[in-house]
Amino acid sequence: MAKTLFEWDYSEYPGAKSYPHLFTPIEVGNLFVPNRIKYAATEENLNGLDGFITDSGVEYMRQRARGVVGGLCFMQGVYMDEAGKGQGYVGQAAAWDDKFIPGLARIADAIHGEKAIAGFQLMDCGRVGAVEVESGHGPSTVPQRLRIFKPMYEMTPAEVKEMIQQHVDAARRGVEAGFDVMEISGIVGYLISNFISSYTNRRTDEYGGDIRGRMQAVVEIIQGVKEVCGPDIPVGIRLCSEELLDDVRGNTPEESMETYKMAEEAGADYISCTLGWQESIYPVISRDIPMGNWVHLAKRAKEHVKIPIQMAYRMFKPGLPNEKIGANELDFWEICRSMIADPLMPKKVAEGREDEIRHCVACNLCLARLFRDAPMTCYINPVCAHEANPEFADPPAAEEEKEIIIAGAGPAGLECAYTAARRGHEVHVYDKRDVIGGTLNEAKNAPYGDDELWTCIEYQQTMCKKAGVTFHLGTEVTADLIEEEMPDSVVLATGPAYSKIESAAGDSAKLVNLLDVMNGQAAVGEKVVVWGNRKPGIGCALHLAQQGKKVTLVGKDKTAGFDVNPSFKWRYVLYMRQNGIVTYNDVDIEEVNDEGIVVKSYDGYRWPVKCDTIVAAQREPNESLKKVVQSEGIELFVIGDALIPRNLSSAIHDGYRIGMRI
Amino acid sequence: MPVDAEKEITKLYRALHSAQDEIGKTFYRWRQVAVEFAGADTNPQDVALRAAEVFGKDIGKSILPRMNWLKGEEGFMMILGKALAGLWNTDGGQATAEKGENPGEVFIKCSRDPWPSWAKQFGVSMEEVALCRERMYQAVLEDVSVFMNIPLKIELQKAISRGQGETVMRLYKAE
Repeated sequence: MAKTLFEWDYSEYPGAKSYPHLFTPIEVGNLFVPNRIKYAATEENLNGLDGFITDSGVEYMRQRARGVVGGLCFMQGVYMDEAGKGQGYVGQAAAWDDKFIPGLARIADAIHGEKAIAGFQLMDCGRVGAVEVESGHGPSTVPQRLRIFKPMYEMTPAEVKEMIQQHVDAARRGVEAGFDVMEISGIVGYLISNFISSYTNRRTDEYGGDIRGRMQAVVEIIQGVKEVCGPDIPVGIRLCSEELLDDVRGNTPEESMETYKMAEEAGADYISCTLGWQESIYPVISRDIPMGNWVHLAKRAKEHVKIPIQMAYRMFKPGLPNEKIGANELDFWEICRSMIADPLMPKKVAEGREDEIRHCVACNLCLARLFRDAPMTCYINPVCAHEANPEFADPPAAEEEKEIIIAGAGPAGLECAYTAARRGHEVHVYDKRDVIGGTLNEAKNAPYGDDELWTCIEYQQTMCKKAGVTFHLGTEVTADLIEEEMPDSVVLATGPAYSKIESAAGDSAKLVNLLDVMNGQAAVGEKVVVWGNRKPGIGCALHLAQQGKKVTLVGKDKTAGFDVNPSFKWRYVLYMRQNGIVTYNDVDIEEVNDEGIVVKSYDGYRWPVKCDTIVAAQREPNESLKKVVQSEGIELFVIGDALIPRNLSSAIHDGYRIGMRI
Repeated sequence: MPVDAEKEITKLYRALHSAQDEIGKTFYRWRQVAVEFAGADTNPQDVALRAAEVFGKDIGKSILPRMNWLKGEEGFMMILGKALAGLWNTDGGQATAEKGENPGEVFIKCSRDPWPSWAKQFGVSMEEVALCRERMYQAVLEDVSVFMNIPLKIELQKAISRGQGETVMRLYKAE
């Protein structure tokens, strides 16, 4: 008889009818799990630099526990060695001593407080560890491919034994802290995966050699952890189903499936199916990868083992995992970034409130921040990592109700609108367009998954509706309108102005606006210069290149994509190369003539670029109404690209912060 | 104002060669400093070789992200050979990588090299220039060998002083 921790009845939940397989119980080891939802362990750099749990970390987890509606909720992986060689993140939680148990127990209690199952993860970061020390440890001394990571040194056989024992000891601390499920992390280049891979394990002793030898340390860890966990606490492991390291002679997919079988034989109660390393040259989870691209790997895993298979990786909506679970090709829907973007995402699915979900846009900013020693943040969720601050996470009602005019129904204006309206203000959103969404109406037409950005507007539209925001579409905010309405506050969220280019050649060189190009209203020739090398310009250049145009991207920034986070920027650089886009950075347009343009570099070199069309994508602040509002003595806020042209994230965060302050 | 192509290219050409010239001379200026600090008992050539080793070790780390086995051993060796030739070209040389007769063998040939001329201005022997190039490439290959788990070697086969003729280096997999 499997152990039941909390009773859940989903019969009254609409989502359980729409997605019945997600809300079907399952036994994992000897534990009864009421649904198929799991928040996967995710670092957030919110803990103390000494590895102790903080209030921020506890509240972050409490929200995610609420979100899984009785499912599995895993805290971030803990490092287990006092020397810190296994520590991969400055704010990673530690479990190398009993002194950490009370803090860890706070997390378990917070998860239990939401009637969810608390998961504990053991994670020695191995090759991507040693964040605070000079060198890391691994099975062999293989140089780092990426300079950002520390040099690695081969562990002696005694050190391998010690590392195995550290896993066992940390597992015991997790049990004492009150966790219900134990998980070993063997993914993306962490220590366990280092031992398994032929790329990083060159040992000739009992912990190296063929795939069985390379799995030996893992087998001993599973067996040791099982022993301290006892029969009632399931032990799972996250393992690569494909390393995507063919270029450096990593494991074959067949070898990876062997590791699944060996993990099951060693006693693992479930496997979380993962793929790719941080050193892989292939993208795995960015927006350019189609939804559901990897789910076939879960099916293959299930063909090799009998224990439950869990998987995340580009499954942001409930339909696909529900279908795959129903077809017995998957057992658990793992969720990571989608619950960073919206911690209550699966709960909203259960409650039939899918339109209220703020969907992840797979930008990877969250992960980019972690590797740069910064606390977790989310591109589109301004509250992420502020859960412990109630005034920020749930802004209180305004002391004085105001009438607010917001000029612009783009992401900044909409975010501000519903945030302010929920606090009791009367909010009117104006836009000269007939539709909401601002420049995202055009941005979503860029290739490589940018259509997903529109989910942000769909969410904001729902929230505005629920908050009682009034829309005045097709109405431009003018000085007369402001004088007539005389609101208490005005928020300028009009989007950017586009830089003008003076043409010495009259009409011979065709100047068109970025937005007109992206919505198909401008005629574009065959040789195009896109002026502006930030994200809007890049999206436009790719859009045109895919139509077969010869595109040159020209811009003032030192590198193209200055406003794109590093974890995604490399994708654009690659796509621009693949699409034959020539890029001139750190340059200005000196002249427009009959032939095209003359480009001038920062240090004075000049050269001609032939083109028949120039797309203006270089943006400037847009404060056209600022003086009018100020002259009336009305409280004024300028947000989003109207303030400083940046990116979607800045627009949303600006909108939220002003919405909670008015 | 129309672009005067000849003028712009001349400006760029001069700037490039001035920069290369300064890079070469800067190496020998620092060599002088290091030799002075090392003291009279140290052989200056040992100092220069150590510097070449440090350079090579660092360059080796930079090329690791580009290492790729997807084209097999022959393809990998050619990519590596081209990377080493490209490095020489960046330094001002005219180098190419050519497939050898034996499997996995690549020859790196440099037909024009400004380094001997710079060395002469600082009173450094031609022999040292050739040995430094060899040592630097050997150091590059240290990390690459471990990273790819292949014992890679490179050896100087022919060195012509003063940048005339052709310098030849053999890149191969050690048995």
